[in-house]
Amino acid sequence: MTAVSEPGLGALVGGASRASAPRRRKFDAFPYLLLAPAALMMVIVNLVPIVQGFRMSMLKLNQYTLSQFMGAPFVGLRNYRGVLFDATNPVHAGMLGALRNTALYSLLVTLCAVAIGLGVALLLNRDFPGKAAARTLLMLPWVVPTYVVGTLWGFMWQRDEGIINHVLVDVLHLMDHKPFWLIGSNTFFAIVIPTVWRAWPVLMLIFLAALQAVPEELYEAARLDGANAWQRFVNITLPALKPVIVIQVMFQIIDNVYSYNIVAMMFGKGAGYPGEWGDLLMPLLTRQSFSYWRFGEGAAVSFVMMAVMLVFVAVWMRTFRRSMTDEA
Amino acid sequence: MMGPAAAVELTMWVMPVTTNAQHDVPALLAPWLAQHPGTTVRVTVLDWESGWNKITAAAASRRGPDLLELGTTWMPAIAAMGGLERLSASQLAEVDNGAPYYPQLWKTTQVFGRTGVYGLPWYADVRAAFYRTDVFRQAGVDPKQAFSNWDSFRAALEKINGTTVAGKRVAALAYAGKNDWNVVHNLAPWIWNAGGDVLTADAKHSALDSPQALRAIDFYSSLAVEGLVPANALEKDSDILEGAWVGGDYGVIFSGPWLMRRILETPAASLVRTNFDVAPYPAGPHGHATFFGGSNLAIFKGSRHKGEAWELVKYLGGKASQVQLSQLSSMMPARIDAANDPAWTQRHPAFAKLTAIAADGRAYPPIPAWGPLETVYTKHLGQLAELSSGIGDKYSVPAMRALIASTVVEADKVLEEAN
Repeated sequence: MTAVSEPGLGALVGGASRASAPRRRKFDAFPYLLLAPAALMMVIVNLVPIVQGFRMSMLKLNQYTLSQFMGAPFVGLRNYRGVLFDATNPVHAGMLGALRNTALYSLLVTLCAVAIGLGVALLLNRDFPGKAAARTLLMLPWVVPTYVVGTLWGFMWQRDEGIINHVLVDVLHLMDHKPFWLIGSNTFFAIVIPTVWRAWPVLMLIFLAALQAVPEELYEAARLDGANAWQRFVNITLPALKPVIVIQVMFQIIDNVYSYNIVAMMFGKGAGYPGEWGDLLMPLLTRQSFSYWRFGEGAAVSFVMMAVMLVFVAVWMRTFRRSMTDEA
Repeated sequence: MMGPAAAVELTMWVMPVTTNAQHDVPALLAPWLAQHPGTTVRVTVLDWESGWNKITAAAASRRGPDLLELGTTWMPAIAAMGGLERLSASQLAEVDNGAPYYPQLWKTTQVFGRTGVYGLPWYADVRAAFYRTDVFRQAGVDPKQAFSNWDSFRAALEKINGTTVAGKRVAALAYAGKNDWNVVHNLAPWIWNAGGDVLTADAKHSALDSPQALRAIDFYSSLAVEGLVPANALEKDSDILEGAWVGGDYGVIFSGPWLMRRILETPAASLVRTNFDVAPYPAGPHGHATFFGGSNLAIFKGSRHKGEAWELVKYLGGKASQVQLSQLSSMMPARIDAANDPAWTQRHPAFAKLTAIAADGRAYPPIPAWGPLETVYTKHLGQLAELSSGIGDKYSVPAMRALIASTVVEADKVLEEAN
C-alpha cells in the first residue's frame, strides 16, 4: 500500500505501457523506524527469554547448579527424554493423569463458557429495561482475579460449611446427601465450574459486540421469508459469529491449558496437592520443577507444551482460516 | 547534605512472624536502633508462599538483603547454594557456640554432613496436642491417661467422638488432608514415636517404608478410616481446622504455639479459653517426640554491611529480644533461657507446657534437599489422606504400602541428586 504513490496511480490510470515496466520501488525506512521500538521490545520481552529458556531446557539446572545459571552443565536432550519417557523421573510422575485432566478440563470449560456466553449474549441482544445494569452485573465474575476465585470457591465447595451443598441439598433438595467436592473424583468438577463461572462473561461481551454488528435487515428479510427463530439463529447469527467463535474457542483452549491459579489456590494455596482428578499440567509443572528445583527439566516440559500449543494453533488457524476471514 | 559517614541502612527480610509484622518488627528493633544511632533498618515482610522463590532468586543472583529470616528447613538449602555468610569462630564464641539455644534448633543452622554455622535460631514452632477439657470431662475421659500411649489415645478418641457440648456435636480429632502444607509435620512425630524416621541415618534415602514408619502411617491413617477424624476435616487446611477447633467442632487438634494467640483472642469467658489444655503427643513404642521447627536469622552472603548485620542478628538472638518477640507473636523463643523466662511461662500455663514439651522436640535432618523432599512427601501423603477419607478407593494396608513405595521411589530420586 505504501508503494502506491501518486506517479504510480497515474500509471495505473494512464496506460499499460508504464504498468508493464514497473519502476523499482524506492525503499522507505520511515515505517521501519516507527516499528523499531516495538520490534526491539518484542525481541527483549519475548525472544530473548524464549531463547534463554530453550538453552535452560538443555542444562542440568537444579538446586546445586542454580548459582551457575546458564553455565550449568550441558546435557543436550536428556531433560526432554527424562520428562517425557522416564517413569522414575520426579517431574514425569503423575503427568499422564494431569494431561488427561487438562485435556478434559480445557474442552469442557471452553464448551461451557462459549455456550453460556453465547446464550446470554443472545438474551442481552434485545431491548429490555435495565439492560445496561444487567450487562454490568453479569460481568462481575470476570473482574474477580483468578486466585481469588480459587480461594473463594475452595470455601464454597466445602462439604458441610460450603454454600454449594447447602443450596443443592438444603434449599433445592436436588440431592439426598452432601457430596465431597474437594476430595475424590469430584475435584474435577470443583475446578471446571469456577473456571467456567469466571470465563463466560467476557465471552458474552465479545459475542454481544459481534451480534450488534449483524445487520438487522438480514433478520427482517428472513422473517419476511418465514424463517423461525431457530432458522434465523442457524442461518444468520451463527455464520455471522463464526469468525469470533473460532478465535475465542482457540483463546479459551490456550488459556485453559495454561490454567494454574484456580487449582493452586483451591487446594492448599499452592502448597497442597489437588489430587488425582484435580491436578492439571501447569500446577504439576510448577510443583515438580520449581518445588523440586529441577529447572532444566521444567524448562523442557514448558517447551514441549509450547510446541504442542503451536501445532494446535497452526492446525486450528489452517482449518478455520476461511471462517476467520469470511464476511458474514 | 549527606549524613555522617557511619550512616548505614540495613535491609531485612522477615516472614509474617506476627499478625502485623510490618509494625511489630520495627518495634522489636527499636532498642537496638537506639543503641546504634545512624543505622536504620528497612524491613520487608515476605509471605511463606512466595518467600521461598524470592529468597532462592536472591541467593542465585547474590543480590538480596543484609539479613533475613529463614525457615529451619529452608536454611540448609540456601546455605548450600552459597547464599549465606558462614559465622566465624569469633562470632560463634560471642554466642557461646550455640549453647543458649535448643540443640535441635541449633543443628538447623548448619548443613547436614558439613561443618559451619550459618545463623542463629530466632523463634520456635513446637507441636503439641491442644484439647478441650470440657469434652473430655463430658465423655468421662482422663486426659492424662488419654495421651499416655497410642492405644489409650485411640480409646479416648472413640469415647469423645460425637460428644455433645453446649449443644454442639464434637468430632474427636482434626488433622488436615491433601489441601495443606502441614502434611509432613503432622505425620512425622507419629513416625518418630514408632521408632521410624523420615530419612535413613545417612540422609541418603527415604525411610518411610521402614516397618516402624509403616506402622505409624497405618495407625495415623486408621484414625481417619475409623471416623475419629471426620472426612470433612481432610478437605480443609490447618488454618480452617484451627478456627473450627477454637469454635468447638473438634475435641483434639495437633498444632503449634501460634494457636495460643487465636485462643487468647477469644473473650475471657469463652468456652475454649476456659476449657482447653495442652498435652504432649501420645507416646508410641519409642517415646513422645514432637516436631520442632521455626525460623533462623542469617546474614546474606552478598551483604555489604556484614558487621552491622551480625550485630543485629546477635541482638535478635539474645534473650531480651526473644522474650519480647514471644510476647508479640506467641511463637516460642528459640533460646532455652527465654523459653523458661516467666514473661513466657507465666503468660498462660499452656506456654509453660509447650516449653516442657519442647524437650522432646525433633527437627528434620538439615539437608539441602529438604524442600523438594517435603514437596514429594506432601503430595503422596496427601493422597494417603484422600485414601483414608473413604471417598473413592477404600483404604487398605496393601494400598497404603503401595502408595508409600511410590513415595520412596520418587523421594530417593530427589535425594539422589543431592548425594
